[in-house]
Amino acid sequence: MSNLERAPRKSFNDLIYDLIFKNYVWQSIFRTGYPNTPRNQMLAVATNVFLHLHPTRIHRTHVKITHTYCLGGLSFFMFLGLTVTGVLLMFYYVPSVERAYQDIQALESNVRFGQLLRNMHRWMAHAMIILVLLHMMRVFYTGAYKPPREFNWVVGVVLFILTLLLSFTGYLLPWDQLAFWAITVGTTMVGSAPVLGDESKFLLLGGFSVGPNALIRFYTLHVIGLPLVISIFMAVHFWRVRRDGGLARPL
Amino acid sequence: MVSRAAAAIRTRPRREREAEVLVWPDLVFIEFISALIFSIALLVLSAMVNAPLLNRADPDTTPNPSKAPWYFLNLQELLLHMEPAWAGVIVPTIALVLLAAIPYWDRDQDGQGVWFGTKFAGRLTVFGFTAATMVTSLLIIWDGSLHVIWTENIIRGLGLNSDFSWPGGLDWFRNLRGFDTGIPWESLGFSIGGFTMFEDWRAIPLGIPGTTTDPWLLNLNFPSFLSQQLIPVATMVGLPIVFVLFCKALGWIHTRRDIALLIFSAFIGVYLTTTIVGTAFRGQGQDLKPPWDIVVLEE
Repeated sequence: MSNLERAPRKSFNDLIYDLIFKNYVWQSIFRTGYPNTPRNQMLAVATNVFLHLHPTRIHRTHVKITHTYCLGGLSFFMFLGLTVTGVLLMFYYVPSVERAYQDIQALESNVRFGQLLRNMHRWMAHAMIILVLLHMMRVFYTGAYKPPREFNWVVGVVLFILTLLLSFTGYLLPWDQLAFWAITVGTTMVGSAPVLGDESKFLLLGGFSVGPNALIRFYTLHVIGLPLVISIFMAVHFWRVRRDGGLARPL
Repeated sequence: MVSRAAAAIRTRPRREREAEVLVWPDLVFIEFISALIFSIALLVLSAMVNAPLLNRADPDTTPNPSKAPWYFLNLQELLLHMEPAWAGVIVPTIALVLLAAIPYWDRDQDGQGVWFGTKFAGRLTVFGFTAATMVTSLLIIWDGSLHVIWTENIIRGLGLNSDFSWPGGLDWFRNLRGFDTGIPWESLGFSIGGFTMFEDWRAIPLGIPGTTTDPWLLNLNFPSFLSQQLIPVATMVGLPIVFVLFCKALGWIHTRRDIALLIFSAFIGVYLTTTIVGTAFRGQGQDLKPPWDIVVLEE
């Protein structure tokens, strides 16, 4: 019968496919093959540590690009990219007044792809601010802040402020004229607050003007303090998107 | 007892399972592609444009103009037109609080999940944005005294009067500070029943005689208060009200959502205008200049 017939010969493509995807190591990482049934596709999302931020199914209007323009997701993607490039930058940078500027110069001239790394970090930071602003506009104009999503809108406003603060604290680190005077101007504005103005400014700078204390404070806030805080707020933000039933839809 | 608000907010759209798609592959694919496009675009940008690096920081050499990072230049722009405490702290704080408060004020669930959503939303958005952009630009031009320079140039240029200069009687209309310096406050005292009122507008006693008060409360410099606080704040409060009344008169406003759309769009217009002016149109001494004339000097 059929099992007596010779199995059809595998094509070259199938051989390569099996070699890559059906070996012991691959299958220890990805336990199933490509999920090509609806059930497996839902499981792929629900059981994957990275993908499980998503629900398994969403309303079809929400995959229309013109509904969201992917702005929130791209803001988060910028954060991830900034984390990766930021960690790499930390290898080459010492936050002291004596070394900071020198380190940036060395990064640009002596480190392979150092200039590119710094450029990526800088432009991603600008892109993140613009994307967060556009995301806020998208949420507003689609009426997505309305009940039951009121508090998530507030969390979003906090995330916007934290994004600005992250960028602002990073601005000082190259310790060039641009950085120094921008932070001087910015913190002078803080100092003009009617109540606790001078105190807030002193707290921020660790002194009366931008100096070594300000540099170490801004650095610490930039690389650990604010990223931790923003991560917590992002977790709440994403969690509540899920809890409130995904994106807003007309009643 | 369940409050009205708590009961109202629990309505949710009915789940339409037949209209749902799978996240894998439909959404994951879009996310992947958009992330890829952005990665490539940023990589290309980074390969072409270098992040700026000026000379090493030197506290003794002040660049002119000194500017904050671009996303704070809207506030730095405000700083030129009002008391620093308002521009740098109070206005942004109030703006952020109001922004966060929108959903607690506009609680109607209608119109969520669709772009714009109300009948006149498009008009309100376009009007709010355009009108706010134009009014802000005009105010900046006025406070920068550009209308004075333009009027003088036009009248001289047309040969009507070759040494025309802005009339002294209109000094108060040169710019915002004109209300302070261009009005003869010294001669504006008057008497009621033998008592001389406001003999000195620049030091109006506010403290009650015989008591000790904060020194700054004791004497009010009214002309400076008028130009640096009263007029700017009245403008920032008054213009949105005028906008709302105007659109109401046109019959465009029916719900709170409409008001929110108008004011938010106007806010975006102001935000964008002040950011662009602060970034590209402020030269030495924060004077208004076209972008190609701006040079940074180190002093």
